[in-house]
Amino acid sequence: MSDVAHSVSEEDVLYVLRTVQDPDLHKDIVSLGFIKNLVIEGPKVSFDVELTTPACPVKEQLKQECFDKVMDLDGVLETNISMTANVRSRTVQSSISITGVKNVLAVASGKGGVGKSTASTNIALALKATGARVGLLDADIYGPSIPTMLGIEGAPERTAENKLVPKEKFGLRVMSMGFLVSDDAPVIWRGPMVHGILQQFLGQVMWNDLDYLIVDMPPGTGDAQLTLTQSAPLAGAVIITTPQDVSLIDARRGLRMFEKVNVPVLGLIENMSFFVCDSCDARHDIFRHGGGKKVSEELGIPFLGEIPIDPDIALSGDKGVPIVERAPQSASTEAYKAIASNMASRLSMASIELDLIDPEDLKLQWKTTSQQ
Amino acid sequence: MENYVSAVTENLPVTNVLRPTKIQQIGEHTLGITWNDGHESCYPVKVLREACECAVCVDEWSGENRIMPGTIPDDVHPIEINPVGLYGIRIDWSDGHNSGIYTFPHVRSLCSCQICS
Repeated sequence: MSDVAHSVSEEDVLYVLRTVQDPDLHKDIVSLGFIKNLVIEGPKVSFDVELTTPACPVKEQLKQECFDKVMDLDGVLETNISMTANVRSRTVQSSISITGVKNVLAVASGKGGVGKSTASTNIALALKATGARVGLLDADIYGPSIPTMLGIEGAPERTAENKLVPKEKFGLRVMSMGFLVSDDAPVIWRGPMVHGILQQFLGQVMWNDLDYLIVDMPPGTGDAQLTLTQSAPLAGAVIITTPQDVSLIDARRGLRMFEKVNVPVLGLIENMSFFVCDSCDARHDIFRHGGGKKVSEELGIPFLGEIPIDPDIALSGDKGVPIVERAPQSASTEAYKAIASNMASRLSMASIELDLIDPEDLKLQWKTTSQQ
Repeated sequence: MENYVSAVTENLPVTNVLRPTKIQQIGEHTLGITWNDGHESCYPVKVLREACECAVCVDEWSGENRIMPGTIPDDVHPIEINPVGLYGIRIDWSDGHNSGIYTFPHVRSLCSCQICS
């Protein structure tokens, strides 16, 4: 504790512990999250090493290695290590957390072709315009279109730990399957592979401090949706539809799916709602009017807003500069901004309710008399 | 332009879903769950094991129970319980079984207290 002696820091200790590998998992014990309760009091260092099994055959070796390496540090005179164990689940359904992401939001639709990616991109940009830190995950692994819409090319970089670094554009952090495959290559995935790649996108991407991660879902209610709802702590979902019945029916299915897995549905967005004619300035309801609002009332979910059919929206997307970025004053941008703020306010309401329950309270290690 | 923008005026419930607020071990063979509606359930754990709805235990097409009688030991107990997403729990069982997801409504439907039955 003296001002003269070199005092060891947490970083110093973790730095040397990073050189200790778990022989089974082939990773260092810091990245694996094994180090718990690290306490430094002057020259005294103590911490727990939480192994994944109490029956670890190299427990003593690991302990010795940690001990030697920490003791070697300048300023350390005493090291206390407790070896503990927390048996983790090996199955694929285990919850993974997305480090540094406060809210994961899914943008979904029952069917394809309703403009989900365009809307996701513009909503993400509208949220960013409010000053939030926003990421966009293109989970449409079959038909990734976000790279085109944002004009991003090339493969993402990887860190030394083999984590993917998201691409940055217009202040958004972006990850897409499209970065990893070439434009004309077919993307063919079996169910389990879909699961794997999505888990990687959620867990292996350096999202870093995001307020919102918008996930552009593939259409429908299949493997990708299940994986996401099982593995990510979803804060909420929005459903996009067009005003036609054929789309609204599928929107109901999408809603039911999220209900089944208890993900709060923040509301419904109606895309391609109407068209305002250049020459007569009149509003034309090309695909009928009011379907989205009617359905959201029927289903008891909020109606978040409507987006007009605007050739500029499509054109901007094709050119790689979405309308919210290219024409910030346009009526369409206003529509997206209104929807984004409606979403954000619904979300904070939903999170308050979810916060009341701590997922840790739903975890349990069973005790048997033989262990006690 | 006003036409394009519609505010959320409805004051609708965000989540009115049933979910546990606390899961705890009550005895050697008993699991206790407190629900967000205040209800408290007690389950003999073997009942939960037998009620597994996974594809190994229940035929996916016919819905027929595929657990062979007598194959679940009487002293079966959870080893670990973890939440799955926001809608269920997964139990690692002492007999090695761990593929079932128990959705919250399913678990609640198994409550055999006087009020529920």
